[in-house]
Amino acid sequence: MSVPAVEFAHVSKAFSGRVVLQDVDLRIPAGRTTVIIGPSGAGKSVFLKLLVGLLQPDEGRILVEGEDLTRLDEEGLYRLRRRIGMLFQDGALFDSMTVGENVAFPLRRHTRMREPEIDAAVASVLASVGLPGTQERMPSELSGGMRKRVGLARAIVLDPDIVLFDEPSSGLDPVTSDAIDQLIVEMRERLGKTFIVISHDIVGTFRIADHIAMLHGGRIVARGTPEEIRHSPDPVVRAFLRRNIPLPPLPGEREESP
Amino acid sequence: MTAAAGIPARFLATVGGYAGFTWDCAAATLRHGLRTDATLREAYVIGVRSLPVLVTMAVFVGTNLSIQGHAAFRTLGAHSLVGMFVALAGVREVCPLLAGTMVAAKTGTEICAQLAVMRTKEQIDALEVMAVNPYAELIAPRLLGIVLVMPALTVLTLAAAIASATAVAVWQLDVNPGEFRDYVFDNIRLADVGIAVLKGVLFGAVIATVSGFFGLTSERGPEGVGRATNRAIVAICVVCVMLNYLVTAVAYR
Ligand SMILES: Nc1ncnc2c1ncn2[C@@H]1O[C@H](COP(=O)(O)OP(=O)(O)O)[C@@H](O)[C@H]1O
Ligand SMILES: [Mg+2]
Repeated sequence: MSVPAVEFAHVSKAFSGRVVLQDVDLRIPAGRTTVIIGPSGAGKSVFLKLLVGLLQPDEGRILVEGEDLTRLDEEGLYRLRRRIGMLFQDGALFDSMTVGENVAFPLRRHTRMREPEIDAAVASVLASVGLPGTQERMPSELSGGMRKRVGLARAIVLDPDIVLFDEPSSGLDPVTSDAIDQLIVEMRERLGKTFIVISHDIVGTFRIADHIAMLHGGRIVARGTPEEIRHSPDPVVRAFLRRNIPLPPLPGEREESP
Repeated sequence: MTAAAGIPARFLATVGGYAGFTWDCAAATLRHGLRTDATLREAYVIGVRSLPVLVTMAVFVGTNLSIQGHAAFRTLGAHSLVGMFVALAGVREVCPLLAGTMVAAKTGTEICAQLAVMRTKEQIDALEVMAVNPYAELIAPRLLGIVLVMPALTVLTLAAAIASATAVAVWQLDVNPGEFRDYVFDNIRLADVGIAVLKGVLFGAVIATVSGFFGLTSERGPEGVGRATNRAIVAICVVCVMLNYLVTAVAYR
């Protein structure tokens, strides 16, 4: 097997004694879309933050394109992050900047491109996410779905190897959510990059995923192709797929405090 | 551990966190360089926004300095000493603090709330993931912007307070203008203005770093933003009056 895009090796993470991830072992193949599903509070966001070095694991190694992220200094980490784009849950656009300035931001900070080239790149990437000509709008004027599209435009404008999505369909109505899933599928085909999506949306997951890993109780409890997951005999997976059924707590898992 | 024992521990943790924060800011700015364009823009915006309210406050502090000075010295039959009172109390003490607290109220709260909202909406994380250092990007330009405009704001506060104090003394209280002027300027030398400016600069540095610290470390959500802003302004005011005492104690030994 070729070098995985991302590899978690025995990664554990706890917050003031409360274990969120426990001995997570996962290889994410390059050039595919891998969806990590799990119920709310399963540690999906923590997983993504570890993957971009916003959090440090208590134990284990995290390899991104073969480089051990836990051993990098700031410079190394920043160099690695330039190969990663991330769409945040609500877009995380800068409120004080226009849509155009938001998308141009990584280009201004990390390239020597001139203004006309930046303008052209911004126009083209905005068109590719289905928002041509929106450069002058402010983030506050956009709908949730549009903010995600702009966030995606900003995430891919530097042509990263790996694109991360934090709950791309959360907070959207079903139609908009379908459109975002559609966009992810199109983008993956067009760009041919590694997409890593975290989600609790089962329908969307089966639509976009080449691979699925399921996170529950701090562990990867199942992994495989959508077919394999769909037919998994594992009771936890089946309960989650049937939806609306609260998952049985794992031994040792504490209830979430409200 | 009891709640009471937790308070000093939390206080020490906050102070330690702030010290680490300022250190990280300095180191990050040295590593990543200063964004001069952003710094100048911040300086301009802070200066222009703070000036009207600052001058208004200074004017109406100056008026009262004259009235109180006059009332106090009239009983001694030495009402022309009011000029000295204006210079000592107003220029040396009140005006720099006034400039500091007004910039804290206007700009400090704005910085803190902005950063706390950015933290809540994951924009700080987004900066990090885009390989942009948040300290160099957000804190350093604001810090240097404030430090750049504080001398001018402090001097303008002094000027406005003296002008209004003069007007009240001469037109309302019938103090001799020549005597008033002599008493004022005998007690404000260039060194006094320099010390006032130094205070202003120190207050500016405190405002930017404290509001930056509480903003970037705020808890998520609207309550987090409110709490951070509240803590920042209280901490700034307390630290500034203590600094004010220190500088006065050292400079006017
Ligand atoms: N920075 C943090 N400090 C303390 N606890 C955290 C932090 N981030 C996440 N957690 C906790 O970790 C658990 C998993 O969170 P998260 O990864 O956000 O779940 P989700 O799968 O819904 O994205 C939650 O119980 C959350 O409270
Ligand atoms: Mg989450």
